Amino acid sequence: MEKRTIRFRLGETLVFLGPLLIFLIVLYGMLLWTIYVSFSDWSGTAPNFRFAGLKWYQLMVGLDRFWVDVRNNLRWLLLGVVPTVIIALFIAYLLEISPIRGIEGYVRTLILYPVAMSFIVTGTIWSWMYQPDKGVLNTIFRAFGLNFLVSNYVNDPKTATLWLIVIFIWQYLGFAVIILQSSFRTTELQEMVEAATVDGASKLRILFDVIVPNIRSGLLVLVSLLLISTLKVFDIVYIVTFGGPGYSTDVLAFFMFIATFQQHLVALGAGLGVIIFLIAFIVVIPYTLYAFQRWFE
Amino acid sequence: MVRIIRRNPILFLLTVLALAFLTVSYLLPIYVMFATSLKTPVEITQRTYLVLSGNLQWENYATALRLIAPALRNSSIISFTVTLLATFFGALGGYYLARVRAGWVRFLFILVGIALYLPYQVVLIPLVQLMALTRLALTHAGLILSYLVLNVPLASVLMGTFFLSVPRELEEAAEVDGASKLQIFFRVVTPISLPAYASVAIIIFTQVWNEFLLALTLSTPLTTTIQVKLAEVKGSFVALYNLQMAAALIAVLIPLTFFLLLGRYFIRGILAGALKG
Amino acid sequence: MSKRWLIVTTVLAVLSLVLAACQPQEVVKTVVVTQVVEVKGTPEVREVVVTATPKPEERKLEIFHWWTAGGEREAADAMFKAFKDKYPDVEIVENPVAGGGGVSHRVVLQARLSAGLPPDTFQTLGGAELKSYVDGGYLVPLDDLWAELKYADVIPKPLANAVTIDGHPYTVPLNMHIQNILYYNKPLFEELKLTPPTTFDELISVAKAIKAAKPNMAPLALGAKEKWGAAFVFDSILLEVGGPEYYVKLYKGEIDVKTDATFKTALEKFKELIPYINTTNPGLTWDESCGLLVSGDSAMVIMGTWAIGYFKSRGWTPGQEFGAVTFPQKPERILLFHPDTYGLTKGAPHPKTTMDWLRVVASPELQIPTDVIQGGLFARIDIDPKEFPDPIRQELMTYVRENPTKLILDQHGSIAPFSFTQAYWDAIAAFVVAPDVDATIKTVGDLFTTYQVKEGAAWYQWP
Repeated sequence: MEKRTIRFRLGETLVFLGPLLIFLIVLYGMLLWTIYVSFSDWSGTAPNFRFAGLKWYQLMVGLDRFWVDVRNNLRWLLLGVVPTVIIALFIAYLLEISPIRGIEGYVRTLILYPVAMSFIVTGTIWSWMYQPDKGVLNTIFRAFGLNFLVSNYVNDPKTATLWLIVIFIWQYLGFAVIILQSSFRTTELQEMVEAATVDGASKLRILFDVIVPNIRSGLLVLVSLLLISTLKVFDIVYIVTFGGPGYSTDVLAFFMFIATFQQHLVALGAGLGVIIFLIAFIVVIPYTLYAFQRWFE
Repeated sequence: MVRIIRRNPILFLLTVLALAFLTVSYLLPIYVMFATSLKTPVEITQRTYLVLSGNLQWENYATALRLIAPALRNSSIISFTVTLLATFFGALGGYYLARVRAGWVRFLFILVGIALYLPYQVVLIPLVQLMALTRLALTHAGLILSYLVLNVPLASVLMGTFFLSVPRELEEAAEVDGASKLQIFFRVVTPISLPAYASVAIIIFTQVWNEFLLALTLSTPLTTTIQVKLAEVKGSFVALYNLQMAAALIAVLIPLTFFLLLGRYFIRGILAGALKG
Repeated sequence: MSKRWLIVTTVLAVLSLVLAACQPQEVVKTVVVTQVVEVKGTPEVREVVVTATPKPEERKLEIFHWWTAGGEREAADAMFKAFKDKYPDVEIVENPVAGGGGVSHRVVLQARLSAGLPPDTFQTLGGAELKSYVDGGYLVPLDDLWAELKYADVIPKPLANAVTIDGHPYTVPLNMHIQNILYYNKPLFEELKLTPPTTFDELISVAKAIKAAKPNMAPLALGAKEKWGAAFVFDSILLEVGGPEYYVKLYKGEIDVKTDATFKTALEKFKELIPYINTTNPGLTWDESCGLLVSGDSAMVIMGTWAIGYFKSRGWTPGQEFGAVTFPQKPERILLFHPDTYGLTKGAPHPKTTMDWLRVVASPELQIPTDVIQGGLFARIDIDPKEFPDPIRQELMTYVRENPTKLILDQHGSIAPFSFTQAYWDAIAAFVVAPDVDATIKTVGDLFTTYQVKEGAAWYQWP
């Protein structure tokens, strides 16, 4: 890429950048507000901006629930992103090389609809799927005699979060496959694949040695989007388990909701929001920065 | 197109298995929704999710439609407006970020990216206060502006990422010819960016249509969105899941149609041209 | 050409914003009223200076509540009908936010109130929930209204206390929901020749009998998804093991849970009960737990009076398919309750209309139809219990009339501050899944200190 600078006149800058800047300033303003509130003493329904230092952070760190949340969020980060990418990769590849015609449109619509469907409803459905006694999954398994597959799903504190993550993967698979598919469809990549095929490479080798290394940008976008979504996850927990059993499926975003709106401890909620943000900083942003660096070159 | 159709039995089997698995996992929930939507509250209590009622309550759909029609209208107004504006503003901003090489712009790009990691609950209270200050809180405009605040940065990053991959030769040629930035943007860049526009539009539309918490907080009976209404339809004490499922199945038609219309662009390349690795 | 495009698009965008934000302008009318003043005694000529009366308040009521669907919707309609019967010129703007117990409701209120956009009135459950709004300065004290209506004389004293903070009543209750009711499958009990249990030991023996006769049934249904369900059951045990004074002391933070023998005993008893509770409880909502009775998967459930409305929506009639007793009835028969109430917000756009609304809320004309439909008891004890169509509430109402002091605030409109209550519910719900008595004692003990229950609950007086 050439490095010539394109000059924008002031008027043009305003037109192009203006709206974005306005919204950005508002957004960051609110972020700073939240950071300040986390150091305030707002612990009732009425605003209270008196400075309280680290009071709420200290309280937070002393709560067992907080550490359960951190653990759960990290689990979400890891187990939400990696399986989604891998499964999406295989499905996207399968759609490319499949001998069956016409399945692409079908599969695409099939796995995309969860994005269009209200999460309130999909969450309710999944909680019905997971009910151990009469839920959809166990009923089917028992009907087919597959009793070893019967499980307690989200009623078991040890496995509950994992099953919630399954719902996440189910929801985001569509997006992931689409993003990867469009990555496959570049002319260079297709030429490389054809060359490799002519050379006699197996399908799997083509996947790992030719395709994957060359779809880095698509992977970047996908992984970033997934990381953001898992870090912010709230809706699935809210609808399916409400943080339970006890608070074993609790995540920071859900605790933030409870603290702010049910316990009326707004400062505590703000602090939790800041923590989410910090985790994003530590875990996610370096990765994105590195990737963007490569791109800017 | 990479379509190597060879007689490969293993591949065939794999494909069939994958198809079956996907079909079941994605159609099963729909079936449960459908079955539930046709039941009476008494039948729902039995929790026989897979069993179709003997007495199909098709009128649930009529009732549900009547209940959610205004909410569908509100959600449509809000979602389409936000999508239009956010994509537009995002494209403008993203173009600037992608084309200007100054150091502070790179920094700005990063700032915008960071803003995406904000959990939206964090900004709920200050956002409502802001809306109250500007006297827009309980109107369509208030919700639209709030969603713009949350979505224009996202649109900018996505469009900016895309523009980074568009070669500048065409633009430079146009500039030599004396075209203004705006003209270049609309006549040169936009026509080849339509897939990106479509993709971003889909993402933004989805975010807004599905958003619940903000819509709940800023809602009034006149501006209730579909998500809030779906929660309401179930009720606080009577758990009318049948109506809720019927309503959801009706409501999904709008975003789904939007998807299918724009979807072909989505495939043609959210990242087309960019992916040189 | 492209410039034109830009202009067109910008205009369209701005236009859409403007259209969306368009609101009809308010027409301000000044009314000049000339008054004829009669003066007694010697006719005199007096000059009376009349200033233009301020614009009359718009007859509108903006009201937040959570009675959104099914039978509760009818109850809300009954409320508004009673209001309109008395004041036909009023326009009611309601903002229903679904979710019993008010989870979503609190979100909207918190945001709106702190942004200075209060509705005229909103539904609240009294107790600590009410106190959090009072402390925020969002409600206007209603001393004058209560004096005018003599409301304190017609409602039980504990109910009045539940909505009185620092000596001032802040809301008008329109009903009472009783928490500790044990609903049971009547035909099943008759078949197994069981009497409905009124003590913990009776409960265990009944559960054993049911389990023996119907091994696939979970004798006691529980829906712990919203967390408070487990606390309901535990409350019943606490009430029996410790008695009413202990119960109040506990939630006022005056008991040191870590060293208290009663608390430990209660937990251990709860542990005994757990094998008879459905293992699916973490994933079930309260209505789904009641549904277990209807579907025949369970025989008993401890739930509030609002369950009556649920059962009716499922085609069950009180006294036929199901019966109810308050639980426990030893050492005394205490009713844990919370009210639904409405108040006047500070800065309400239509204060006079709201006061009219509150007057109607306090009246039998509203309470009778609303409470009969919705499932609670009347707030006023001067209403004839026979107004209820079902024997369960007739009996309850009569009991309350004769024993008005046997009421204590429950988990929903609670004694302890809400910051504590939320976390407490989580701990008890977790206990049902993993009954570790010592760990739970420690957790709960820490919660009492962390959330400063002692200071927060000092306002509550009982009896």
